[in-house]
Order: sequence, then C-alpha cells, then structure tokens
Amino acid sequence: MINRSRNLFMLFALVLSLLFLTVGCGKNSSSEATPARSTGTGQSGQTTSLDGSTKDKPQSDEPLVVYLNDFDEMIKPLFEEATGYKLELVTGNGAEIMSRIEAEKGNPHWDVVWMDAMPSIHQLGKSGQLLEGWIPKNYENLTDFAKAFVPENHSYYPTGAHAAAVLVYNTKAFTRETAPKSWDDLTKPAFKGSLGMADPAVAAPAYPFVAWFFQNKGMDGGKAYFDALFKNGAKVYPKNPNVAKALTGGEIKVAALQESNAYTLKNQNEPVEIVWPEEGAPASVRVVAIQKQTKHLEAAKAFVEFLLDPKTQQKLIDQGEEAYFEPSAKGATPKKDRAGQAKLVVAEADWAAQHEAEIKQWFADQAVK
Amino acid sequence: MGWFVLAILFLLILLPLAAVILQVLLPGIFFGKLTVGDLSLLFEVFRRPLWLLSLKNSLLLGIGTTLFAALLGGALAMVRAKWSFPTARWLDVANWLLIITPSFILAQGWVMFASSGGIAAEWFGWGWFHSLVFNPLGLIAIMTLSKFPLAYLTVYAALEWKEKRLHDAARLNGGSAWAVLRTVDMPLLLPAYFSGALLIFMDTVGDFGMPASIAAVFRFPTLPYSIYTALYTSPIRFDMAGVLSFYLVLLIALAMGLQFYVLRKSRYDFLTARATRYEPQKPKRFAMLLTTGNLFFLAIVLGIPFGSNLLMSLSDSTTTSGIKGLTLQHYEQLFRNGGPLLESIQHSIGIASIAALVGVILGFLVAYVLTYSLFPYRQVIDVISLISFAVPGVVLGIGYIFIWNQAWLKSVGLLLYGTPWILVLAGIAGAIPITTRIMVGGMAKIPKTLLHAAQVQGAGGIQRMVSILFPLLRAAFLSSVLAAFGTTVFDLAITSILYPPNFITLPVSINKAFENLQFGYASAVTLTGGGLVILIILIVQLIFKENRFHGGRGME
Repeated sequence: MINRSRNLFMLFALVLSLLFLTVGCGKNSSSEATPARSTGTGQSGQTTSLDGSTKDKPQSDEPLVVYLNDFDEMIKPLFEEATGYKLELVTGNGAEIMSRIEAEKGNPHWDVVWMDAMPSIHQLGKSGQLLEGWIPKNYENLTDFAKAFVPENHSYYPTGAHAAAVLVYNTKAFTRETAPKSWDDLTKPAFKGSLGMADPAVAAPAYPFVAWFFQNKGMDGGKAYFDALFKNGAKVYPKNPNVAKALTGGEIKVAALQESNAYTLKNQNEPVEIVWPEEGAPASVRVVAIQKQTKHLEAAKAFVEFLLDPKTQQKLIDQGEEAYFEPSAKGATPKKDRAGQAKLVVAEADWAAQHEAEIKQWFADQAVK
Repeated sequence: MGWFVLAILFLLILLPLAAVILQVLLPGIFFGKLTVGDLSLLFEVFRRPLWLLSLKNSLLLGIGTTLFAALLGGALAMVRAKWSFPTARWLDVANWLLIITPSFILAQGWVMFASSGGIAAEWFGWGWFHSLVFNPLGLIAIMTLSKFPLAYLTVYAALEWKEKRLHDAARLNGGSAWAVLRTVDMPLLLPAYFSGALLIFMDTVGDFGMPASIAAVFRFPTLPYSIYTALYTSPIRFDMAGVLSFYLVLLIALAMGLQFYVLRKSRYDFLTARATRYEPQKPKRFAMLLTTGNLFFLAIVLGIPFGSNLLMSLSDSTTTSGIKGLTLQHYEQLFRNGGPLLESIQHSIGIASIAALVGVILGFLVAYVLTYSLFPYRQVIDVISLISFAVPGVVLGIGYIFIWNQAWLKSVGLLLYGTPWILVLAGIAGAIPITTRIMVGGMAKIPKTLLHAAQVQGAGGIQRMVSILFPLLRAAFLSSVLAAFGTTVFDLAITSILYPPNFITLPVSINKAFENLQFGYASAVTLTGGGLVILIILIVQLIFKENRFHGGRGME
C-alpha cells in the first residue's frame, strides 16, 4: 500500500530544499541592509544642520534603526525633536543585542549600535562591519580621557564611561574604618564569605571589570587574584541587580557593584556606602558605531553627532536611568552625588576583545568548582 | 496529509534548529563562506566542567520533576474529574495561572519567599526554609509545584469521556473503588499520563527562567543556562549553542523512546458508542477533606510565588530588604505610563491569539497523522513536534533569524524577520508541542474503527473529523488552544531575540523592569498582565462550558 520509493523521494526533496535555503543565504551578504518596513515620515530632509553631510547618500524616508541597551525611554523623542529624523529602537541587554547583530550578519537590520560593550564593538570594527574613517565634528570636543578610546580606524566613538564595579558595603556590617578600601583588601580574612560580584559570562559590565585585573596583573596574576577571592568565599551572581539584592538582603556584606546600581541603592536609603578604590574602578565604556552598509548614513551620522553633543550627554545624566557615568564630551558634568575623585581605569579594548573568550571560560568553569 | 504536516514542522521547527546546528559543521555558511567546523566541539561537553555539570543537573532536574509532577498532576486531574466539591474550580484557575506564568516570575516568587532575607525568614522566622529549598531536591520540589499543571491538563482532557460499563463490570465483580482505579482507569489513561510527563520533561530540561532566577541564590547550572552563556558571551558561539542544543534534543529523543517502548505493549483506544461524559460526583463523606486539602495545596503552589509577587508589587521598596510600607505606586506607574505598556499587552495578546489558533489546527493535524495515519515517518514527526519545547527559545530565535532574514526573501515578499509576523511564526512553533501532546492524549482513546465505520458509510475525511473527532475532542481543543495562548503570551526568550523595532511585547517589558531592579513595577506588570490573560481564559472556558451542557449526554 505504501510506496516506499516515493516516500524516500519526498524525504530527499525536503533535505534538498534545506540545502537550497542555506545556499541562498550564502549569496546575500552584500546589498539589502534595511528592514522590510517603510513607515517613514518624510522628515529626514528637513534638517542637515548637525554635520551638513546631506550629499553622502540619497535621502531615505525609512527611520534610523538603533540597537541599544539603555536610555531607550528618553533617546527617541530627544533625537527626533533635535534633528527631525525618525528613530526606531531595538532594546535588549548587551548580550541579546550582540547575538542579534551576529545572527543578522548576512543581512543587517541595524544602522547604529550604541552600547557599553566596547570590546565587542571593537571586534565588529576589526571584522569590517563598521563605518570607518569618518570623524564627527564633535570629535574635537571629546575629553582627553574619552579620546584615548577612539580606535585608529575611527570606527566607533565613546559617549561616556561608568564604573563596571565600585566597592559597596553594608553599613550594618562594616564601618568606614573596617570597610575594604582597595580591591586587594577583598582577599583579606576580614572579608571571608562576605563578598559578591556579577558573573562576567552573563552580565555585560562584569567583563570590563575582570578584564582590567587580567590585563593589569597578567593572565596568571589575574587568575591568582580571583582564585584568592573564590577561596575567600566570594559568591558570583548572574547580574548586578542580583548582587544588589544579595547585599541588601544580607547574603553578602560587600559587593563589587556597577555604579548606577550602587547609587540607586544609596538613593533608596538602603544601608550601604560606596567606596571608590584609590587604584581606580574598572570602567565600562559606552560607544556608538555606524553599520558599514547602512542606507541611512546621513541620519546615522546625525545620531552620532547628537550623542557626542555635551547638551545631550547632560540630559542623559540629568534624566536617564543609568545616569551615573563620566561624560565623554567637554562641558557635560557628572551627577553631583557621584564622588568627585571617581577614578576610572579601563582595560584596552583590543586586549580585552582578544582575551574575552579565554577569561570568560576560565570564570565559568571556576565558578562551578 | 503526512507530507504536509512534515513540511510545515520542517519549516517552522527543524529548519531553524538545523540552521543553528549547521553552524557547528559549516560555521560560515550563512555569511557566504564555506569552511569546515571543528567537530571535536561535540565531545567538549564531557571535558568542560561547567557543561558536564549542566548536563547532569538537567538530567537530574528533568527526571525528578517529571516523576513527581506527572503523578501529582495526574492524580489531581482524576480527583477533580471524579468529585465535585467546593473550591474545585479554584484548582483549574490555579493550573492556568501556573501554566501561563513565566517560570522566571514563579522562581522570583520562591526566591523572594525563601532566600535568607526573604519573607519566610523575616516574617515567620523560618530561618531553616532557605536550606530546605536551595538544594537539588528543593529545586525539584519547586519545579514539581510549577510544572504539574501540564500533566493535569493532559489527563483532565483525556477524562472527558468514560466507558461506564468497564467500571460497572469491575465493581460487579467485586472490585473496590481503588481496584477499579488501579486496574481500569490508570492503565487506560497511560497515554495521557505519558503525554503530560513528556511535556513536563521537555519544559523542565528546556526551562531557562527557573535556573537563571535560582542561580542568584543557589548555583545550579543546567543546559539552557549554559546555552545562554555560550550564546550571550562575546565572542558569540552559535556553534557551542548548537552543540548543547543537540544534547537537549537527544534527551527528548531518549524520553520519547522510553515512552514508545512502554506504550507499545497494549492498545488504548477504548471508546465505543456507549461512552458517557465524565460528570463529577458529590463525595458522600469527605467533601470537607477535599476542600481543606485543596485550599492547603493552593496556599502553597499559588500562595508562595504569587503572594510574594503581590507583596512585592505593593511594597514601598525596590529590594527584598524588608517592607517599608504598602503602596499602590507601582500600579499607578503602570497606568501613568500606560501607553507603551498597554501597547505591549495588545501586541502579546494579538500574537498569542493567532499563534494559538493556528497552533491548535496544526496540533490537531499532527496528532491525527500520528494516531490514525499509516504515514511511514510518524516517528520523525513525533520528535520534531516536540523539539521546539525543549530547545531554548534563544537558540530557535537565532535559527529564525538565519532562515527568515535572507535578502532574497525580500523579492518574494517573505522577509518576515523585522516584522511582527516572525513572532507569530515563532509562537506557532512554540505552541505546536503543547497542542499536539494534548490532542494525542485525547485521540489515543478514540479507536480507528469509529472512523472506519464512518468511512464505510461514505463519509469523507473532513466529514469524519467534523462529525466524530471534533465532538469527542472538544475538551482537548479547549485545553490546547488556551494552553497555547497562555504560554505564548509570556514567552520571553524568543520574543526578546526576535521582536521588531518599536514592537515591544509584554514579557520583554517585564524582563526589562526586572533587569533594572524595578521589582515592584515588574511584579505589578506581571500580575496585571497575568490577570488579564486569566480573565480571557476563564471567559473562553465559560463560553465553551455553556455549550458543553447543550452538547448532549453521550455518544448514543
């Protein structure tokens, strides 16, 4: 009753169609780079004031698509009002956004990415996925600290830096005198079993935090340092909010915590105090980059100029959720309650990108033991 | 029809997954490069401590939860079908609540209750509760109390009709009520039990939310958690995620093999023209006992996770470090910023409705092919129909990008990635395993001979379905469409990777609030959204319940 050979043929046809589909994708990596929507408003031609680069590309009615991990509540109206360009956002945590970008490599849907994941974006630049060589007008207005992060090929620009971790202690457990003052203090017996930190394999800012130690102390030195922390009973939580919760809940008494999270706790009158270690707090740098094949180059450039504008950065500090950071533009001032001598130290982007896989794997396996 | 079903499943589920796994073999294939990948990755799972532990943990959690939750859910369904008692309806509501609530929310509730500074310790002084929950056995218990509704649903749906004569015969021959249960009911319900158990197993080994939330307090990495880290760790390792997903699929295949082996021994299609509807009886003596037992049970399975969330949503503190007073500010905030949130609720409900309706049709077709056809690749269909349940949403999501984001699709108008339709497709893929399993559980007891008899009388295929299967499967249809709807509404993993620009969905907004430390607001959104979904489910149930009374007393 059943025709065996016919069935086999059909199965073969299915497998063939799979091959057909996948070969189809191999060929498409060039042209189409925009989403299949056209909800444009026709406003894009109205303003060219920011950098006057109207001649770069034909104008488009489609909105500019920005992938980002913070400030999504406020940036859209601010930018649309300031420039007249239409904006569409895709929000996610750093890892989600990077996964999307990676999966879309054959047919990117994003025009601009703006995230505090400098090593990952540096890697995008190295693999030729970012617009290179363009220098925004606002470049000259960057602080010296910020200028140091701009790569040679000018594929991305910093919009600010925040401490990936500062020391935070529970004031019920420690006083100003007994609290840890430097990162090395954490290996002391006084803090046995009381430390918690975020997992660099999961939390976006936790990698820049550990990367600085590894670059500073060398790979072996870095491993020895974190080994000592683990031996001292350090607990690793998936993300910074988890660390914050463990700290206020009493599971841990000292935390290496991202600064906006830390100041949020303080502003909520939780019994915590923040310590900026003298040797510096390892920082995560937020950078903005333009996709190489973008069809909306003009709007994308306007967006970068907009973010590098001190007025914009001041608004992010005054109204934003992740408001605690050091702005990259001269003229913008950080939050007043942020420590005046907040010293940030940063692992070199290229070094951090190269060692990312190795360090994260070491951490993941270490935490299991 | 077999080929049609296979092609649909292939396109919706297997192709995206194959695309991710293909990355292991040919890493550059989706970006225009042909290179051969490193196959030794396949064995890395036995070398890397984290992965090996994840595999072991997943197995332990999966097997333990399946065992307890299937027994618990099945037993509850049988009690509920057999007896009517006050508060019985609450049990149904509880089941729906647990099914639709994303596991990370449930886990958050448990964590808030049981963690060292949590409600149990602070309010009741139960310092010991922490160590009771945060160990492997405790996790299995939490999982059991969250996943049992899957077995409840399948078994309850299968209990729509009964053969009263079998019971009468057993009782006439002197069998006690227990003997009837043991020798008649239980064996006949075996396929439904197994369907439920398999769903629980999939849902448990594929669950990301629970281990991720619990990880904040107790480190218990599972496969989905490690897949998440492989995928979300720069440089992004699609290949590793593919390898780990492969092991998840292997686990399903093993579980299905076991099921197949057990069920092969006998037949389960027992309904005849004399079947009658199950009508719950009033218990003579122990109505009181059932009611109090039910209330106590509900206090644990709902009270702890939802009570904690409710408290959180009403508390004037964004952390768990004690309650500083009660407030409605989070709810107020929700309506103040109502615009975007309302929009996300609309988006999610719209997508889930379409996905549930299409999913239930496909689920019916799949189950039909599995149960009644002679299609030679039924086993293949069976496995594929379950895969999307076990493979973490993030992996499937990335597969969807590979498949549905190819530039040439634009020229034929099928570039679905970047539009809401991609979420509908993914929702359907997620709904298929649930709808299929519930349908299979229901169909297993309807014998082919009923259909054959109609065929001999000249009824065509569609007429046979409409006049025989549909009426007999009404409960299964209802259960599966609602279960598919409920789970799709809150499916976080896949929407977070696929949602188009400016098209926020409910779970994405909830998760974002959690990530931003706004626990109170997140809880408020969850409870409001969840309440709305429950309301929809109850209304739909009520409408169809009404019909049920008009639907005749039996098959005669």
